[in-house]
Amino acid sequence: MSETLQQLLDISIFWEYRTVLLRGLAVNFYVFVCAAIVALSLGLGAALLRVSRRRPLRALGTLHVEIFRNAPDYVMVVWVHFVLPLLIGTLLHTRFELNPFVSAIIALGFVYSGYFAETFRAGIEAVPIGQIEAGRSCGMSDRHILWRIVLPQVVRRMLPESINQFISLFKATTIVSLIAVPDLMYQVSMITQQEMRPLPLYTGAALVYFAVILVASYALRAASERWRNKIFA
Amino acid sequence: MGNWQRLVWNQRDALFSGLVVTVEICLIAFACAIVGGLLLCLIRMYVRPLRPVAIVLIEFFRATPILVQLLWVNYAWPALFGWPDTFFTAAWVALALQSSGYLAETFRGGIEAIPRGHREAAYSVGMRPMLVFRRIILPQVALSTAPSIVNQFTVIVKSSTLVSVITVQDLMFESQRIVNIWYEPIEMLTATAAIYIIIVFLVSTAGKALSDMLRRRFGIAAA
Amino acid sequence: MSEVPTIRVVDVHKRFGSLEVLKGVSFEVHRGNVVSMIGASGSGKSTLLRCINHLETPTTGDIFIEGESLCFRGDAAGSRAPRPLSEINRMRRDLGTVFQQFNLWPHMTVLGNVIEAPNRVRGLSRKAAAQLGGECLARVHLEDKALEYPARLSGGQQQRVAIARALAMQPKVMLFDEPTSSLDPELTDEVLGVMRELAADGTTMIVVTHEMGFAREVSDRVMFLHNGLIEEEGPPDQMFGAPKSERFRQFIAKYLY
Ligand SMILES: Nc1ncnc2c1ncn2[C@@H]1O[C@H](COP(=O)(O)OP(=O)(O)OP(=O)(O)O)[C@@H](O)[C@H]1O
Ligand SMILES: [Mg+2]
Repeated sequence: MSETLQQLLDISIFWEYRTVLLRGLAVNFYVFVCAAIVALSLGLGAALLRVSRRRPLRALGTLHVEIFRNAPDYVMVVWVHFVLPLLIGTLLHTRFELNPFVSAIIALGFVYSGYFAETFRAGIEAVPIGQIEAGRSCGMSDRHILWRIVLPQVVRRMLPESINQFISLFKATTIVSLIAVPDLMYQVSMITQQEMRPLPLYTGAALVYFAVILVASYALRAASERWRNKIFA
Repeated sequence: MGNWQRLVWNQRDALFSGLVVTVEICLIAFACAIVGGLLLCLIRMYVRPLRPVAIVLIEFFRATPILVQLLWVNYAWPALFGWPDTFFTAAWVALALQSSGYLAETFRGGIEAIPRGHREAAYSVGMRPMLVFRRIILPQVALSTAPSIVNQFTVIVKSSTLVSVITVQDLMFESQRIVNIWYEPIEMLTATAAIYIIIVFLVSTAGKALSDMLRRRFGIAAA
Repeated sequence: MSEVPTIRVVDVHKRFGSLEVLKGVSFEVHRGNVVSMIGASGSGKSTLLRCINHLETPTTGDIFIEGESLCFRGDAAGSRAPRPLSEINRMRRDLGTVFQQFNLWPHMTVLGNVIEAPNRVRGLSRKAAAQLGGECLARVHLEDKALEYPARLSGGQQQRVAIARALAMQPKVMLFDEPTSSLDPELTDEVLGVMRELAADGTTMIVVTHEMGFAREVSDRVMFLHNGLIEEEGPPDQMFGAPKSERFRQFIAKYLY
């Protein structure tokens, strides 16, 4: 036991590989940011479909949400990485491959667009119709009302909930290690295979993610509260 | 269509055995997460000296990615605690840890949402604290958090796809094993994705129906 | 009168499913006139106002703003086509609307609310819009609240901001839909005071209200709406002094206790 404890406390191995590991963490952030952009834009699109006046468009939005909100991240990552290129290749009659980065971003972006769509929709529906009519009576176009009246409020209102989703998305980026995107988890697995010392490495990785996510979530929450309170007194 | 028959339908036995493993793991993890979550929540709220420990555990379980927890339990725990001794155990333990953190916070929200007056009314008719908790608090919390608890089960199902990484032979594992035999992933992986999506969809629809029912019958808004 | 009426409502019908809310309403409002519209709850006052600024499309009938049809666009051949939304938006700029529920945009400051449309719809520069916004806020006596957010204002102040926001479009007509109904009595007076000043300045206004005193003192003409029809109309002294229809008599009796 004392030997394991010593092994556990021996973080020098983490220090030894610090550059590789930090680069891995940076990859997590990179995938996170790209996937978040995809997820937010698709999510907004799907939310707008869901509040549309036309029934077929609404149905399309609902389909999008139900598929991606219910799909496990890992299954989607695998599907996009191994199936999507074959389908595209068949369509184009060529060999087609997806870089694992791209697969990861597409898959996570689509999955999380399902969650964001629901968040956006709830936010859009929470804007009183009277405010939209006030905009119409001033002669604003629907697009103007959407971008200047509705969305700014949606963003503020939905911030707390979307922070949770951003954090889930960040956590989900660890999955990309499984299709050989060299993120922190991937590097840890590689180093483990060389050093055969899983205990400090995996414990260390867990602690690193724990620290990053805990700090980020507290900071984001505090910032968003301050920003919101100015408007929704 | 012939492909679907050959690559998916003819593999149904393997897929089914994988599905059984998935369901087993999810149910065990779910049950343990409810018990663990309740314990963590009660310790956090009522056991002063252990409160910081409970908070750290809850935050740790919630803030660590499930893949990291899974690998950590699988590779680090045996060296630390000499347990778990099988991949299967490691799999449900990791899933249960993650969800117990979330459920602990759900339960706390449910308990804190109960108006003070309910407790005071119970004390004023002479009920003892344990009785108040069992008869007044717990039933209300169970009702108000039921939809969130069901929702947590969908999280477990989704996360359970990762246990294939530590060679637990669940649905995802079987599916990928079959893909690796013929290298024809289109049908198999699409079918697998569809199965998971349908399962999660059904569970979350049930959760939604449950919360609607509770709102109608008891006027309870989901926590 | 030879002058083109600012607003002309011609035989407007409005139906929601099987419910016919407006059953053929026609009237005219001339420049500088203040018209009060009164009537029981559900008589169709709001619906009529919403038809005038095209938040609802009349089932049949038409509305003319300075002689221009709001619902249809006539072409050279004389055939009429429904007016596209972009043109309706252009025509709406001539109508300033004040709602019962204020409907301020909570994420913008008071000044932001007032200058949003002049700046982005009419295309005034930010500076010119701010100048105009300041003037409009001065007319409702809220210059000093320009940089507050709406959530920090009282109801009466919020409603005055809403009036300033409508004024900032420099509309030809101001439409008010029960602007004081969601206010406490003390706050009602400050809003009615502002509206009196607007009327005195010669603003053309259509006011839906339950404030009989205001209708009587300020308006040039009162219209009593009942079951989707104008039951009685005329100058306030005549209406309140010698009501002709039995229904109107009953209606005002309730307000006189
Ligand atoms: N969008 C709608 N769909 C269906 N019915 C409607 C709609 N809007 C209004 N109505 C109905 O039309 C009738 C008239 O409503 P309206 O709001 O015009 O009355 P009002 O005279 O303004 O009453 P109040 O004094 O209460 O504001 C009511 O019976 C109402 O239920
Ligand atoms: Mg009304």
